[in-house]
Amino acid sequence: MKKLNFGIISYAHPHALRYGQTIAENRKARLYAISGDGANSGVAKGEAKKHKAKFYKDYESLLRDENVDAVYVAIETYRHKEIAIRAAEEGKHILLEKPIALTLEDADEIIKTAEKNDVKLMVPFNPRFTSPLIKAKSMIDAGEIGNLEYINAISEYVKPPIYLQGLDMSWFFDVKKSGGGGFMDTAPHGIDSLLWLTGSMPKRIFADIGSKIYGFPVDDVGTAFLEFENGVMAILSAGWGNPKGYPYGLEIKYYLVGKEGFLDVRTAYPDFAVYQDKTERIYWERPDVQGIVNTFIESILKDKEPPITGKDAKNNLIIVLSAYESSRTGKVVKL
Amino acid sequence: MANGKLKVGVIGCGNIFNLAHKPALEKIQSIKVAACMDVDEERAVKGAKYFNAKAFVDLNEFLDLDLDVVEILTPTYTHAELALAALKRGKHVIIEKPIALTSEEAEKMIKVAEKEGLKLFVGHVRRFDKRWVQIKDVIKNRNILPMQIKKNEVQGLPFPSDYWYWDESKSGGVALDLGVHVTDFLRWLFESEPVEVFGSGKMIKEQARERNTYDHFVMMIKFEGGKLGIAEVSWAYPYPARYGVFYHHLDIIGKNGRIRYTPMDTPVVGVAKSQFEMPRFSPLLSTFPDAFERELRHFFECIREDKEPTVSAKDALIALKIAEKAKESAKLGKSVEFGGGEE
Repeated sequence: MKKLNFGIISYAHPHALRYGQTIAENRKARLYAISGDGANSGVAKGEAKKHKAKFYKDYESLLRDENVDAVYVAIETYRHKEIAIRAAEEGKHILLEKPIALTLEDADEIIKTAEKNDVKLMVPFNPRFTSPLIKAKSMIDAGEIGNLEYINAISEYVKPPIYLQGLDMSWFFDVKKSGGGGFMDTAPHGIDSLLWLTGSMPKRIFADIGSKIYGFPVDDVGTAFLEFENGVMAILSAGWGNPKGYPYGLEIKYYLVGKEGFLDVRTAYPDFAVYQDKTERIYWERPDVQGIVNTFIESILKDKEPPITGKDAKNNLIIVLSAYESSRTGKVVKL
Repeated sequence: MANGKLKVGVIGCGNIFNLAHKPALEKIQSIKVAACMDVDEERAVKGAKYFNAKAFVDLNEFLDLDLDVVEILTPTYTHAELALAALKRGKHVIIEKPIALTSEEAEKMIKVAEKEGLKLFVGHVRRFDKRWVQIKDVIKNRNILPMQIKKNEVQGLPFPSDYWYWDESKSGGVALDLGVHVTDFLRWLFESEPVEVFGSGKMIKEQARERNTYDHFVMMIKFEGGKLGIAEVSWAYPYPARYGVFYHHLDIIGKNGRIRYTPMDTPVVGVAKSQFEMPRFSPLLSTFPDAFERELRHFFECIREDKEPTVSAKDALIALKIAEKAKESAKLGKSVEFGGGEE
């Protein structure tokens, strides 16, 4: 069977490291080419060498390579539109890092161009691909906790990007490039899981997001209240809330309250602990990135709609931007 | 003060008396429970017998006694009337939270206590709970500087729908009854004043729908200096009813660190039998029994030595006002300013 040839455009987003590895290990895919646009181009070049992939200095030459079937785009968010549109025009399927774009208009253009050129467009949100959350969702759908009433997304926190070593993360602190700080960085994952678990869209949002902890020029943590059309209420706290010494780099937890049962998702990412001069938690399972890559490949090979479409990603962005609006104005935002 | 002991009279010999105050009062040597009053004679007699005290069903006869302190452990809607009556008869008052059903009532109680030169203490027992006291110390000693605090106090309220808790005109609903615990807690840990309050509620259990009162309520409270308090209070958690399990979860994010607490990660008691039972501290109670004892010892000491308490009636009033604002916000569907009325 012919393997799908993947290109990775940019290592500006550190997720590219994990995606590169995961694509390279996938039986149905080959990490064929990498381009070094944006931040961390040196890292991109090194990864190309490591994975024996072609290295292109810029995405335009990668996109013109006829052997490339699909691209994973991890460039700074403000360049998503420019690159996604060109990729679609060149007939490449697109796995586009979140958030889909800086604005809803940009998101619309990306979605339209992908449709016009008949390429798959998927935006990766991780929690719904983790085994604890898949289990929780199946229990909810089977009615095991009765009607779902309330979700406390306790923690969608990571450490701030300043603690990532060997990578240039400065664009995360430039709102013109990233669209926002910690909340923009992590909340889309939590929001996607809420959309997925409830199967509904929010109708009211109240949020407080700010540069509260570190004094960065962008926000670090935020909390949003969401009331969904189907009556589910949710609280989502997200951002760069984990201090340097926190044993988890990434932590996602939920309390799910049904009318007849309570689900305690203590972590979406199962781990074990290593104790030395500090405590470290090591994940023994990260099925999320694998799941994302697998379903994306499957949607291409079987010509199916990906589980998370451009429209889903746009809805996600609507909610994130509404939360920022609520925080800015101090008012409840109705959708 | 016979034999140097404070003479205490108790009004209300129901759940909180039997589960929390009775065992605490029993351990305190510096006081003597001289009288127990309840509208239910059987309960009054039972309580009085326990302390070898006099039983009353009539408030005036009860207040005729030479009492130093009256402890009021009755449903919330009766607090103001009973406290005012006791204060006007020259008794110091210790009252369960919430201070009163409305802030107007609470303000009147505070004014009368001041005018009469008497103490009015409110049982905000969280401030005497080892966990929170120690966390407060750690915040201070390690300069955590909290900026966002999320506090959840949740349970499955085991009472039937005709119980007074489910009657909003008697209890104020969960937003008030548990809400004042959390609003006071947030203000205590932040050491800041609230500026804006958002609230939203749901009716989940049958009792709540039947009595048309929220049994699940969340608040987002903005404090001075960009601090955010998030409160979740609930009677609707589908925990086994047998023990009325009560859970606290706490997550503090500060400029210099994060503090998390949940009994789900560090259960005090976990029981595995034929059916799994959730960890618990004590039946029905939201805190350790000794927190009540510490609270009462502190209040009695403040009365005897004429000292200011750790938590004042004014603190209790502000906690109540925040909860009232949250209820108002839920009604209006928008956030409301604290202090200055609507936005």
